[in-house]
Amino acid sequence: MAGLSLTSYAARRAALGLMQVLAVVTLVFFLVEALPGDAAVALAGDNPDPARIAQIRAAMGLDRPAPERFAQWLVGLPQLDFGESLVSGRPVAQFLSAGIGPTVVLAVLTLVLLVPISVLVGVLAALREGSLLDRALTSVSVALHSIPEFALAVVLIAVFGVQLGWLPPTAVGADVLTEPAVLVLPLVVLLARPICSISRLVRAGMVDALASDYVRHARHLGIGETRVRFAHALPNALSPAVQQVARTTDWLLGGVIVVEAVFVIPGLGTVLVDAVAARDLPVVQGLAVVFAVTTVAVNLVADLVGFRLAPRAEVVA
Amino acid sequence: MSLNRRGFLGLTSGLAVVTLAGCGSATSASSTPRTGGRLRAAFAGGGAKEVLDPHLANLFVEAARSKAMFDKLADLGGDVSPQPRLAEKWEPNADLTRWRITLRKAVFHDGRPVRAQDVLASYARILDPNRAFRAKSSLALIDLPNSRVVDDLTVEFALKRPFGEFPNALAAFGAYIVPEGAEDFTKPVGSGAFSFVSFEPGRSVLLKRNPEYWEGAPLLDELEFVIANEESARTNALLGGQVEYAHDLTPTTARSHASGDRMTIHRSPNSAVQAFAMKVDRPPFDNRDLREALFLLADRPQLVESVLAGSGQVGNDLFGKGYQHYADLPQRERDLDKAKFLIRKAGAEGLVVKLDTSTAAAGMVEAATVFADQAKGSGLTIEVAQGNKDSYWADTLKNGSLSSFRSGAMPIETHVAQRLLSGSGTNVTKWARPEFDALHEKAVSTSDATARTEAYREMQRVLHTEGGYLMWGFADWIVGAKPNVGGISTAPANTLDWARFDKVWLG
Amino acid sequence: MKRAGIGGLLIVVPLALALLGPLFVPEQTARSAPFMPLGLLGTDFVGRDTWYQVLAGGQTVVLVALLATAFSYLVGVPYGVVAATARLRLVDEVLMRPLDVLLAVPSLLVLILVAAITGQGLVVLIGIVTLVNFPDVARLSRAAALEIAGRPALEAMRMQGESWWQTSIVYTGRSMLRTLAADLGVRLTGALYLVASASFLGVGVPPDAADWAVMVDRNRGGLFLQPWAVVVPALLIISLSIGLNLVFDRALRKVRT
Repeated sequence: MAGLSLTSYAARRAALGLMQVLAVVTLVFFLVEALPGDAAVALAGDNPDPARIAQIRAAMGLDRPAPERFAQWLVGLPQLDFGESLVSGRPVAQFLSAGIGPTVVLAVLTLVLLVPISVLVGVLAALREGSLLDRALTSVSVALHSIPEFALAVVLIAVFGVQLGWLPPTAVGADVLTEPAVLVLPLVVLLARPICSISRLVRAGMVDALASDYVRHARHLGIGETRVRFAHALPNALSPAVQQVARTTDWLLGGVIVVEAVFVIPGLGTVLVDAVAARDLPVVQGLAVVFAVTTVAVNLVADLVGFRLAPRAEVVA
Repeated sequence: MSLNRRGFLGLTSGLAVVTLAGCGSATSASSTPRTGGRLRAAFAGGGAKEVLDPHLANLFVEAARSKAMFDKLADLGGDVSPQPRLAEKWEPNADLTRWRITLRKAVFHDGRPVRAQDVLASYARILDPNRAFRAKSSLALIDLPNSRVVDDLTVEFALKRPFGEFPNALAAFGAYIVPEGAEDFTKPVGSGAFSFVSFEPGRSVLLKRNPEYWEGAPLLDELEFVIANEESARTNALLGGQVEYAHDLTPTTARSHASGDRMTIHRSPNSAVQAFAMKVDRPPFDNRDLREALFLLADRPQLVESVLAGSGQVGNDLFGKGYQHYADLPQRERDLDKAKFLIRKAGAEGLVVKLDTSTAAAGMVEAATVFADQAKGSGLTIEVAQGNKDSYWADTLKNGSLSSFRSGAMPIETHVAQRLLSGSGTNVTKWARPEFDALHEKAVSTSDATARTEAYREMQRVLHTEGGYLMWGFADWIVGAKPNVGGISTAPANTLDWARFDKVWLG
Repeated sequence: MKRAGIGGLLIVVPLALALLGPLFVPEQTARSAPFMPLGLLGTDFVGRDTWYQVLAGGQTVVLVALLATAFSYLVGVPYGVVAATARLRLVDEVLMRPLDVLLAVPSLLVLILVAAITGQGLVVLIGIVTLVNFPDVARLSRAAALEIAGRPALEAMRMQGESWWQTSIVYTGRSMLRTLAADLGVRLTGALYLVASASFLGVGVPPDAADWAVMVDRNRGGLFLQPWAVVVPALLIISLSIGLNLVFDRALRKVRT
């Protein structure tokens, strides 16, 4: 890491991040423009009278050329002006702020539970590699990983929400902060898959680390087994898992569409699905900015953490 | 009515849970009306699309909310004929070009009376040439400059041509009366049974009882509309006691809970027509024999059984079963041999026809595949092609020759005017015939009831014989409610009593 | 040995059904009402015989999951390793930054947008699942390769003047196997999951296709009327996932010992 301090590294990454955000926003603009139909067609729905569509189009300003609209939108961006929804005329910022709350609450709670549990499961399986415990943990987590969220959600809701009545089956009309019980089932569903993928990476990394030369070396030096495991092996084992945690965080912040739909949590995923269906370009664009910024930030943090865990890793790169 | 039932999310059927025993207590609680309480009603929503401006209403939830807060001059009754609402009565002149409407004494939520000026202003807003409100095409025949306020409670509409079905226009989707000059609908003011309290787009709208309502104050204290796009979520919320009313459920959900005591199922028959649309202006369906062959290929009972899960009635290629002016013609049955013969006669043997469909409305793709199966062995091959759901209606209006179709309830005259005349804006079947246009003109411009009925019958006879719509079934509209909820009507969706909450009570 | 039997069995049953099943589906099948207790496994949500749907529905799931996973590794692993071991930092940057752009777009947004633009079809679905997975694989490979590159053994090799090919590809590749194999099992089940979610979102496959993943989604409404229509395809997918993972694990242990 000669001459490359952590701060200058972070600053450089932040600059790169800005470019990424712009690239994503541009990409999304063209993808949405390429979608069949536009906001006027989507709004007209099953009453697609061409004359009416033309009027809606004019009222929305969609008759102006796409690059012009995009440029106008971009100009507002530095002042955090995301424009207005084509369909409802409300500011895009309103949509974003409404969706961010539930999304962040879900993401933070999931992560707080996810990291300790999956590290614990992974380490436990690695220390007993090949044992019945290992195989049981592996099989269960693989099974969970291949069950789509909606299927798991359906079963959990049926049993705990409806049959037994222990937990609210949906979060409809509820405020997640005042009624935390509505979050229990969604959290379980959200945790099921990442626990599997992360704990397996931890396990694999840990098994490798325990078998590696430097751990063998440490043991030769007479360092206590606990210290070898947790001070020497674990940090190295965690480094691949950090990327996966980052990916999971990103996924959680990017709107968990399925869970939001099944449990009626109006987060960013719901806003996105609705906006794409309505071809409400400014809203989709605003969401793309939010998603891109979170991804850049999350990956930056992940790389910094990864660097802390396994500093030698960056030498070659 | 927008039947974009939330395409991809709304399609999936609901979670079914067999409720065991659970000693019921509320069996008769719903039989006697009582006042008070808050009813929470779950609907599918539209997120960004959702607005409180009643003239912009498009989705079911918006229609239901508008209905709670606003009134129209007329609305549709159980047989989809116009019934007076804010209008106490209407009287046309002899040649049906001037209509004098007498208003009821009613007040807006802010205490101002509903005046003839408000009516004219509301219609002027809808007819604004620079805007695109849904009711515009229905009201387009009003000659606004020549219409006038007679006094505070009387308005006289001048029409551009004679029109006997003018009350249909007064009942048109979204033709609500708002206070003169209203443009900002963040805190809407109407004359409806409930007044506005709060709105969180994409989540909920809270309304409260309007004690001054002209038809009598509603029984409920409060009414809350909540949004749950997934059908299974609406069902679960109802089962879990989070809502008392769940709109638009699937037949599977209904079947699962028919015997339980956790929800009562309310079915509204003849709510949505299911069809295939053939374009008669282009090959291959410009050939009348081929259209008839398709009519004869459809096994309607099977379509109703498997696609609608038996929750509906077979159709007879005509819109509006059970509605005013519906012509009861002999029911068409499947006749494979005759269909084969007609396909051969049309020289269409071995022909492959593309059937456009999408998930824009529930059941369309399934119906398309079932129909493609039914056509096997007839000489004609139907190939199902799935298109984009969001632009589906606009795409199929222009392109292709055969497509899935469905529609909510509206008066038969409206259906004809919007879809079957040479100048219709949404003429999917491209049915454009001067003699048919003339029949329609005759039906709407005569004041002789027998002549009108005869004209409607003749129009339907032609459509039944050689039209472009293969209307195979009518789906029931299914609503679930807690057993203690009373006063839910089973009128077809889109009519006055559908999703109407001022007569509903909590037992 | 016994364990291989279980893993093998778990794979063989769904795989055999997937590959041979379609041969046993009659040309014309009867239709009745949805979720009725007719035939071996009852009827599905549009009244078709569930058993025939099970027979016909494995091919696409298995094909899409396997091909998409294979493609994402074929592209992703070399991509990540090259980025990690390139002598020039610039190469690393040029390779990895575009991926960040791709990663910054949520996968479901990609799924929805691309599918809406290109329409339905298995090729589209394979392409999308690959596109969603490949940046992950590349990043993971890069991280793993970096970790290995930091090991003393590799530094020693480099100092002895071993070629880039020897150090980067042969040694690094071999050492990465375990991390990658652990990931491979998960990624395969992840691909199965994506296919199923795609159906939930109405992307890629027709909503009434004969496809195990679609069946799980579309028949869930009748879960308590006719559970087999959900349970059987779900079990087949899960069995395939677990079987594949068990066999991978075992093969891996063999390689190491």
